[in-house]
Amino acid sequence: MSEMAEFHDELRAVARDLLDKAGDEVEWRQVADAGWSGLEVPEELGGAGASFVETAIVLEELGRAAARSRYLGHVLAVGALTALSPNDSRDALLECIAAGTPVAFASGFTLLNGVVSGRAEFVPDAEGADTILLLADDDGTPTVVSSPEVVVVVQPVLDESRSLAIVTADGAAVSEAWPLPVDPSALHDRAAAAVACDSLGVAEAMLSATVDYVKVRQQFGRPIGSFQAVKHACADMLVQTSVARHLVNAAVARVAEGSDATIAVAMAKSYACGAAVEVAGKAMQLHGGIGYTWESGVHAYLKRAMLNRALFGSPAAHRQRVAARY
Amino acid sequence: MSEFDDFRERVRRWCADHVPPDWRTAQTGVSDAEFAAFQQAWFAELHAAGFAVPHWPREWGGGMSVGEQIVLYQELAAADAPRLVLAFVGIHHAASTLLVAGTDEQRQRHLPAILDGELWVQGFSEPEAGSDLASLRTTAHRDGNMFIVNGQKLWASGGAHADWCLLLARTDPDAPKRKGISYFLMDMTTPGIDVRPIRNAVGDSHFCEVFLNDVAIPAANLVGAENAGWQVAQETLGAERGMTMLELAERLGNAGFGWLVDECARSRSDGMRPLDDGVVRDRLAQFEIELAGLRGLCRKVVEGHDSGSVGPADPSIVKLFYSELLQRMTDFGVEVGGLPAHTVLTKSMSSGWESGAWALDFIGSWEWTIPGGASEIQRTIIGERGLGLPREPASA
Repeated sequence: MSEMAEFHDELRAVARDLLDKAGDEVEWRQVADAGWSGLEVPEELGGAGASFVETAIVLEELGRAAARSRYLGHVLAVGALTALSPNDSRDALLECIAAGTPVAFASGFTLLNGVVSGRAEFVPDAEGADTILLLADDDGTPTVVSSPEVVVVVQPVLDESRSLAIVTADGAAVSEAWPLPVDPSALHDRAAAAVACDSLGVAEAMLSATVDYVKVRQQFGRPIGSFQAVKHACADMLVQTSVARHLVNAAVARVAEGSDATIAVAMAKSYACGAAVEVAGKAMQLHGGIGYTWESGVHAYLKRAMLNRALFGSPAAHRQRVAARY
Repeated sequence: MSEFDDFRERVRRWCADHVPPDWRTAQTGVSDAEFAAFQQAWFAELHAAGFAVPHWPREWGGGMSVGEQIVLYQELAAADAPRLVLAFVGIHHAASTLLVAGTDEQRQRHLPAILDGELWVQGFSEPEAGSDLASLRTTAHRDGNMFIVNGQKLWASGGAHADWCLLLARTDPDAPKRKGISYFLMDMTTPGIDVRPIRNAVGDSHFCEVFLNDVAIPAANLVGAENAGWQVAQETLGAERGMTMLELAERLGNAGFGWLVDECARSRSDGMRPLDDGVVRDRLAQFEIELAGLRGLCRKVVEGHDSGSVGPADPSIVKLFYSELLQRMTDFGVEVGGLPAHTVLTKSMSSGWESGAWALDFIGSWEWTIPGGASEIQRTIIGERGLGLPREPASA
């Protein structure tokens, strides 16, 4: 096994162990202590100098645990900062982020006359963030802006494992403004890929829980997993999950290498996020009445899969991007 | 993929020089003999270029890396090259059986012969042994250094042209059903073999019934130990799955999908194009996404075969996903093709499973969801071997 593969296995094992112990919510302090907040931060700024491939492993494990954490918002913000040309203020912020400063990222703002305005909905992990980075249009130049004057209003959603908010800036003062040297769509691709990783983890967790359950649940004097109707449904879950895994890996690799990832991400996001809802739904079905209880927790996965499917582009929207090439 | 640029260019040039430009028309509505002659000639051309058995080990004439194989299949598909229909069982199933379980003598006897055009047929299924293959009734009684075979085989694709047959027969009627079967190499010229073509749903007669009446097979033609034939079949079926699927997935992903887009982009009599319909575009995108997943899975199975990391259910996942995707894509071709799609009454021999004759392709797709372990059997295998789910009590 290559050194890289060993590192990935270890990262995955540590993540699974930590999240097992953490329960529904993983404290941000734990995330920082585990080194995940600095994964993609350059080593000279106190990070691990790793790539999106490693971040993707953590995202997938968070999905597998359906854990509440600030990681998605963090990943989007780090993506924006690492896309910038290095400079002192950016580097200082990345250093804080690696050490555990909570951040978030929102897009759709305008920079005019030195102040920033705009409104973004469903911004992950904005509440409680020390810094919310805004992607703003500065007379045609995409610019990453930080402002101390943004207003955050929480948007409660059915999926309790995610924190989303409306972020508003109305002529807000700007503390930093960095021109973004890449196409802003790359940041959107990264966000969509991150959610696809999460959904892959959700699907894998639901498949695994269902397989464990149908092996032990007895009806008509035998494990229900021995019935073809149940077995074949599980087989389809594995097929979907396997296809999703391939598409997600391909998209993550492209995002990590910095090449145009739009199509690969559109494929992964639409397929994996659609599949996760189907797999979690089938998991609820095959768990029977128990699966429909609050206590079983299956609903938490189904709700997370449903929200993931809608975040950063619906499957149909992503398929439109694929179809634009025909 | 830049490391393969030179190789891709070489294959592309070769295709431009060698793929007969008019073969589709020339191969439509031809006699069986003409089809067979065309297949043999095409195989010889591919072999001369080193493209016939890229998946074989180097010492037997193959040795191409997985990356190169993918490029080869992509370019053959892009050039709309004919498929190796008759050689299929020989270069894939027979070869992998011999490589995995054959003796040196058997390999020496047959692998070079396959490269010279020896054709093979699979004699597994029987009238009473389809999905429950292990209940097969064809018997082989040992008589000195020979086995005497009696019985009937069914769905033997290419049986009319085959020189040799991969045969499963019962050698111990008293043993449990999976423990009394042996695996043989049977010379199709042996007296007592009667091959009768069966017309299939598409209308052609590629597959056959094979009647076996006191057919004598030398004991040296056993593959593996006597009564271990079931285990040999299990080992060799999975081994060849990834290889065969790699080519089929690249074909479906290149030519097949391209034709589907073309079909949707064709203006209809009212001047409208299906491609301008958002629902059609969505379906096409979904197919392309699933194709990307399929191609990745195939590659993983082939690469995993070399490194020993193929999951126990991976070959079944690939077969199931390919065959159902093929069925849905060809169905969509028929749907979008409208009534004109139904006026295409023949499909070119030697073409892929997706030929652009959508209605016939759709009918023909059941040749993928039924044989080689029907989709229901694949799902059972995936559930039991891939996920460790308990067996049905009846088959325990």
